[in-house]
Amino acid sequence: MNVLPWLIITPLFGAFSMPVISLLGGKFREYWAVIVSGLTLGIAAKVFYTVWKSNEILVYTLGDTNPIGNGVKFPIRIIWEVDLFGALLALTVTFVSFLAILYSLEYMKHDTGLDKYYTLTLVLELGMIGVVITGDIFNFYVFLEIMSIASYALVAFRNDTWEGIEAGVKYMFVGSLASSFILLGIALLYGQYGTLTMAYLAMKIAENPTLISKVALAFLIGGLLFKSGAVPVHMWLSDAHPAAPSSISAMLSGLVIKAGGVYAIARIIFGIFNPGLHGYLKTFGMPAFNLNTLGWIIIFFACLTLVIGNAMAVVQNDMKRLFAFSSVGQIGYILLGFGIGIVAYGDKIGEIALTGAVYHIVNHAVIKGLLFFIAGAVIHQVGTKNLNELSGLARRMPFTTISFIIGATAIIGLPPLNGFASKWLIYESSAMYNPILAVVAVIGTVFSLIAYTRVLFTFLGVESEKVKMVKEPGTAMIVPMLVLVIIILVMGIFSWQISDKIMLPTAKMLEQLNGEYIMALLKFIGGG
Amino acid sequence: MKTTFGALSLVFILGVLLVVANPNYGLKFGLGEGNWEEYRYTDQYYIEHGVEEVGGTNIVTDIVFDYRGYDTLGEATVLFTSIAGAVALLRKWRGEE
Repeated sequence: MNVLPWLIITPLFGAFSMPVISLLGGKFREYWAVIVSGLTLGIAAKVFYTVWKSNEILVYTLGDTNPIGNGVKFPIRIIWEVDLFGALLALTVTFVSFLAILYSLEYMKHDTGLDKYYTLTLVLELGMIGVVITGDIFNFYVFLEIMSIASYALVAFRNDTWEGIEAGVKYMFVGSLASSFILLGIALLYGQYGTLTMAYLAMKIAENPTLISKVALAFLIGGLLFKSGAVPVHMWLSDAHPAAPSSISAMLSGLVIKAGGVYAIARIIFGIFNPGLHGYLKTFGMPAFNLNTLGWIIIFFACLTLVIGNAMAVVQNDMKRLFAFSSVGQIGYILLGFGIGIVAYGDKIGEIALTGAVYHIVNHAVIKGLLFFIAGAVIHQVGTKNLNELSGLARRMPFTTISFIIGATAIIGLPPLNGFASKWLIYESSAMYNPILAVVAVIGTVFSLIAYTRVLFTFLGVESEKVKMVKEPGTAMIVPMLVLVIIILVMGIFSWQISDKIMLPTAKMLEQLNGEYIMALLKFIGGG
Repeated sequence: MKTTFGALSLVFILGVLLVVANPNYGLKFGLGEGNWEEYRYTDQYYIEHGVEEVGGTNIVTDIVFDYRGYDTLGEATVLFTSIAGAVALLRKWRGEE
């Protein structure tokens, strides 16, 4: 049985049935949310295993067995195209969402309107899954909107706090502008090429690379850089992530900026504008794009992002704001990996950089999920997130402190933990490509080291008045943190095995040296 | 300074869009016989095969409920999300009766 459709059906059914289930009252909606997200995690794991085992791109047509129309040679229906990158992202999304929902059981206990909260959380998860599995560019936009609208509402969910509403309004205005840029780009592509299927669009663009597709690419990349929080347009992120409830911050920071941001950038560049195909055309002297310029633009923004994001994290006094700026900095590393992957396309260096970027997406999702859970535990138990008021938490909250130390060392990238391997791959490739980029990357890490050392002092040091009566949080908050700590440790021990077995094939499939993404669709033509 | 820069980039984007909307360099409007087959082959397919494949005589509903029904499901979810979000944000504050 093909389980892929259930990846969408399960959270969709869960979200739409939540208003009815919550009529049963009390605990039911929470158990329902946990069951639904747990099932989705299981399905995503199955899909990932299937794709990983067969090492082939899974194509699924909505409404038919064949995406190609009768008697013609082009796709007429919406398709899903799940390669390893998409499947890996789907697995990460469902995993962190499941833990975030588990964590909310206790964390959100004192809030009202919880039936809407769980509905919106499931919709957020659904939107992200839809974005990562789709093979149709308009469908991508629809699910990007689902994801964005759910996250606007969840950022402002605590409507009795001024910062929640302020951040929500800011996020909504900036995010809608970015979405409209993306829609404009899609409209231009459709007007010129007459198709919405990504793989077929890639062929059409290679046949006839026009000015319009360049402009559309600029709009798409511009809009998606907004969504991923790259530096000149990161201001919404540093407000939205601290203001949201911590379980949602973990999802926003770990997943939303990846699925709706860097994943989409990578998919559009490597899937639709395919540097390999254009390089191949150029050897025959045919008109083709030179994507190196785009690669350097992305590298430029990546360097800006990773230095400014990490540097701004140093001067923060608010724990969650510091983590949010650190997320901006880590997005810089991922973009740097993708940028080098474009300029050094087809090279060993480009492959290493892509592997590092893909690996860092997963690592950062896990680590930042843990760090925001910890910040949530501190806020929930102590009642403040101001770093100046907190000190000496270690004696009262030993488990939280140990988790924080593990999370912080992992995100800085110290050897026994998982952050090391992915950052190492990015350093290595940037040093081989251009040593200046490696220097910039190391400067970013130095800032991030300083920032996290500052937070460490709030856990160690002399006990302040505020923390005298503090206890550890309950089981429902401890368990997700414990799971993430174990994952970080295990991924740290097996980091190079994971890199070889999972991340390298993923990067190869994304790079698609032989145009696999297009071939997966083309094999249907002639069969219909 | 920031406002000037913002205004200048908006003017630049507008200029680029005007070039793109110029039929000599970019998008063609009012597609005729030959161009229609070149740029709107998918639409032509829906017009030709819509009635026999789907059964509805209204092509737009054929497309939005059959060929691209998944997008419509997504749009319904967008509406559902907006309503859930609006209701969630307009609820009473904690501690307010």
